[in-house]
Amino acid sequence: MKKYWFIFQTQLINSLAYPGELIGRALTILPFMWIFYQLWSVTFASTGQTEMNGLTLKMTMWYFVVTEVIEISRPRVGNTISETVRDGSIAYLLSKPYNFMLYHYATAMGGTIFHALFNILFGGGLIWWLVGAPPSLMGVAMVLPALLGAWALHFCIAALIGLLAFIVEDISAFLWIFQKAAFVFGGLLIPLDFYPGWMRTIANFLPFASLSYAPARLFISPSPQAFFAVIGQQILWLGILGLALTFFYHRAVRFLTINGG
Amino acid sequence: MSNLKILLAVWKANLQSAMEYRVSFISQVLGMMLNNGMYFVIWVIFFDRFKEIRGWGVGDMYVTFGVSASAFGLVSLFFGNAFNLGDIITRGRLDYYLSLPRPVLLHTLTSRSVASGAGDFLYGILSFAVSGYFSAEALARFTLAILLAAIVFASFLVIVQSLAFWMGNATNLVTLAVNAMITFSIYPISIFDNTAKLILFTLVPAALMGAVPASFAIAFTWQTLAQLLIGAGAFLALAIFIFYFGLRRYESGSGIQVEI
Repeated sequence: MKKYWFIFQTQLINSLAYPGELIGRALTILPFMWIFYQLWSVTFASTGQTEMNGLTLKMTMWYFVVTEVIEISRPRVGNTISETVRDGSIAYLLSKPYNFMLYHYATAMGGTIFHALFNILFGGGLIWWLVGAPPSLMGVAMVLPALLGAWALHFCIAALIGLLAFIVEDISAFLWIFQKAAFVFGGLLIPLDFYPGWMRTIANFLPFASLSYAPARLFISPSPQAFFAVIGQQILWLGILGLALTFFYHRAVRFLTINGG
Repeated sequence: MSNLKILLAVWKANLQSAMEYRVSFISQVLGMMLNNGMYFVIWVIFFDRFKEIRGWGVGDMYVTFGVSASAFGLVSLFFGNAFNLGDIITRGRLDYYLSLPRPVLLHTLTSRSVASGAGDFLYGILSFAVSGYFSAEALARFTLAILLAAIVFASFLVIVQSLAFWMGNATNLVTLAVNAMITFSIYPISIFDNTAKLILFTLVPAALMGAVPASFAIAFTWQTLAQLLIGAGAFLALAIFIFYFGLRRYESGSGIQVEI
């Protein structure tokens, strides 16, 4: 495990090499947060209520900070993996003394941490200015492991899609559909609390809720029970998706033919 | 006339090139349509719960999203390099276009076609068809609206990407501006106050890519038509001026090469 830790550290330091680039990328969160504030402040005002489905405007906005930080900073390994398959560089990477998937996980997470930190700084800063401080300090502490769980789940799904490059030429359509499924069933743009009951039930049976809704809801309404429920659910999905990834990866590699080099 | 001929020839070549990988093309088109449809589910859920926002209902959203998607699709299909122009400038790849006796900007923009744009374009028409506002007359207005919205969007891309002439690598700024333009164009304009609306007509002209053309497609008024025509004309003129003004500063390590 030590070598993956070093890969992670190297990538982490690399991501700091161009702070201007890091800040520039993080600025992307600002238009999203601003438009969410416009939409939801008008929505709350037009209903004449200060609380809907247990959420105030302040809670809703901080919910979006977490969902957007997860979405914007998430590891985007789908294309990276598919590219190695398409250009044949997978042959070079497989000959190295490390696990191909763990290598990509360590690299992706190394690139994610500071990106997320700057997103929190800009996105959180704007929302703090607009609606005030986060609802609870306990939420800040509890959401951190849930964020790591969300990104690990993102990695598993994106890597599974990346492996599709063994079968199809272009995986972009699959990545778009996954992203939109995560938007809808993960409550990325509307908290699941506002969904019709039947859709909420479906969402709760899918892994997408653990990707964004659950960590964001934990952040705004933290409690020890909610914490263990969210982490437990993430571990369950990580187990299922991790097994699927291992299975399909080994199957894919078995079919790989490398000539010369 | 000769420019139109070369334009048609470039588009034909782009289409033939996309058709070379037919399965990939079809999967990208269908995938993008599904992608847009899934995204729109969010608006259906939103308006199912809140009915309308300051007079803006789900029908209006269908048209707004339809106009924006079709306009985006047109630009992707026919002016695909508008999304890469900054990168082309920074890497000195304009040399290739400068060495040919054709209008540099037009030739550069049309030299690439993004296949998934066809999915956006078709989805936009479908979205309009199910909006409840569809009629033969409305379809004619919708067609004009997406053409003008596409001109605004392509011009905005050229303006933002041309900043690379002065800034060098402007990738982050371009990403920020393009994301803002697309995001703001698919939100109800009724949620914005007057200051925000001023920004959406000028600095990030998302209103001219979404809400205004959508209003025109829904019901004809001289005011919206004038806004669209003036907006598209002004942004197009500005884009051409900024690009050619910036071109004077263009430098490269001579990337001219024979491409057969």
